[in-house]
Amino acid sequence: MTKLSTLSDAVASIPSGAHLALSGFAITRCTMAFSREVIRQEIKHLTISQCVGAMDADMLVGAGAVDRMIYGGGSLDRFGRLNCVNRGIEDGTLAVEEYSSLSVAFRYLAGALGMPFMPIRSLRGSDLIAQLKERSPSDIANITDPFTGDEWPVLKPLLPDVAVVQVQTADEEGNACIMGPRWDNNEQVRASQRTIVIAEHVVTDETIRQNPEQTSIPGLFVSHVVELPFAAHPTSVYRAYDYDAEQIQAYVEATHTPESFHTYLDQYVYNVRDHWEYLERVGGLKHLTSLQADPVKGY
Amino acid sequence: MELDYTPSELMAVAGARELRDREVVAVGLGLPVVASFLAKQTHAPNMTILFELGVIDPQPVDQGVGLADPRVWYRANVLSSFVDILGEVLHRGRVDVGFLGGLEVDQFGNLNTSLLGDPKRKFRHMIGSGGANDIASCAKRTIIIMRHEERKLKKAISFITSPGYITGNDSRARAGLAGGPSRVITDKAIFSFHPDTKQMMLTSIHPGITLEEVLGTMGFSPLVPEHIPYTEPPTQEQVRLIREVIDPQHMYMG
Repeated sequence: MTKLSTLSDAVASIPSGAHLALSGFAITRCTMAFSREVIRQEIKHLTISQCVGAMDADMLVGAGAVDRMIYGGGSLDRFGRLNCVNRGIEDGTLAVEEYSSLSVAFRYLAGALGMPFMPIRSLRGSDLIAQLKERSPSDIANITDPFTGDEWPVLKPLLPDVAVVQVQTADEEGNACIMGPRWDNNEQVRASQRTIVIAEHVVTDETIRQNPEQTSIPGLFVSHVVELPFAAHPTSVYRAYDYDAEQIQAYVEATHTPESFHTYLDQYVYNVRDHWEYLERVGGLKHLTSLQADPVKGY
Repeated sequence: MELDYTPSELMAVAGARELRDREVVAVGLGLPVVASFLAKQTHAPNMTILFELGVIDPQPVDQGVGLADPRVWYRANVLSSFVDILGEVLHRGRVDVGFLGGLEVDQFGNLNTSLLGDPKRKFRHMIGSGGANDIASCAKRTIIIMRHEERKLKKAISFITSPGYITGNDSRARAGLAGGPSRVITDKAIFSFHPDTKQMMLTSIHPGITLEEVLGTMGFSPLVPEHIPYTEPPTQEQVRLIREVIDPQHMYMG
């Protein structure tokens, strides 16, 4: 069954107030075109989760689309902090539940496996656990190991409404290949109610069947497949294209104040009709070709 | 002939010397990367390097801007996931050494990477944990690398992101955690921890630095033994590897 969809239709399937798990990690495989369309459609009050905060989430927070974030910390690597997320935390406009990378991954894993909870060695003795017990006491507890009598922190499963995952290739049914490290994406997909796949290329069913061991996301989890080249721009997609250093720099500059970020959103989100016009605005085919990955190195 | 080296190069070399062959090492970006690759290219060729997002034993030829840069994943043996690296390797108990940096550290080796200021009032939020809390909790030992400044080596830190020896003595063990920090490497000195009280203890001072300079730029008093050796300086070959092979573009060494 084909699940091919336009970006606009896939985004329109998301109700305000939904919990989205986004596939980005700092400045790589971020769901940027998706985030820009969510902002254009004025979907609000979202909860965003990901193991490591990334540019896709930061942009949504900066645009006022997010009420709550569940994450394990994050940055834009050498380019800077997650200015919008950090500002939201500092001025109290963003509710944040802050974990470590593994504790968010374990919450997704518990959700993916249908487990009632997941014990973890991490978090003990830290202010992270103290803060979580204060802010979200229903998500974390202690339990006595019935076999040894040891005390363990336990985490509640994380069950997002929709996982949104940027991949290299997928077929029309949503069977998708993630090349390179997957960080938390496999667990995000399996814990979520459904998944929107954003693929650089849609390939035939036969292509997937030739190398099925490379399928990271089975189509059965997927509700929409959107084919969109350079959908993660200005972040990178391994074996497809490199990050756009100049554009990320411009983003970081713009996020220093809410005012300058509004100007950025006007220029790259509100006043562009769609993804194709965005790609023209950032330099078009000539510029994008210069970002294409070397087939051996993958960047 | 006096060898010319920078404080950062000495820190990376001191970090490398802490690593043994065949150990499994979880690494964050920056100086720990230089220290780990240096160890691997000298005395520890069978060491395994892990990056939290799902990278085992990469052999980069270009320097990256962070763990999210595919440059640092190049020629890896395995590209997998958080659950694989932080779960099935680290949480399972197979990581010998975790290498951590931070904004602030206290006398018990507790690390802050979350915020600066007063968390109840006015503060500036920073990176947060990432895998740092997991590594500090689950590795057999951790090595902390940071600049030697009063605002970083503090009596009380703003937020414990990653636990060291918590409040000292057996408090870490009572929290259910094994391991703990074994070394703190700064640009002035190297510290270890007292076996019982778990207080930070001066172990060596870098050549050209005085005891007063070490103690005068810290927010707490470490234990100071009667005889303090100088830190062994880098060899010519170690400095050459850092400058020509590992970090020719000065991406990690600043």
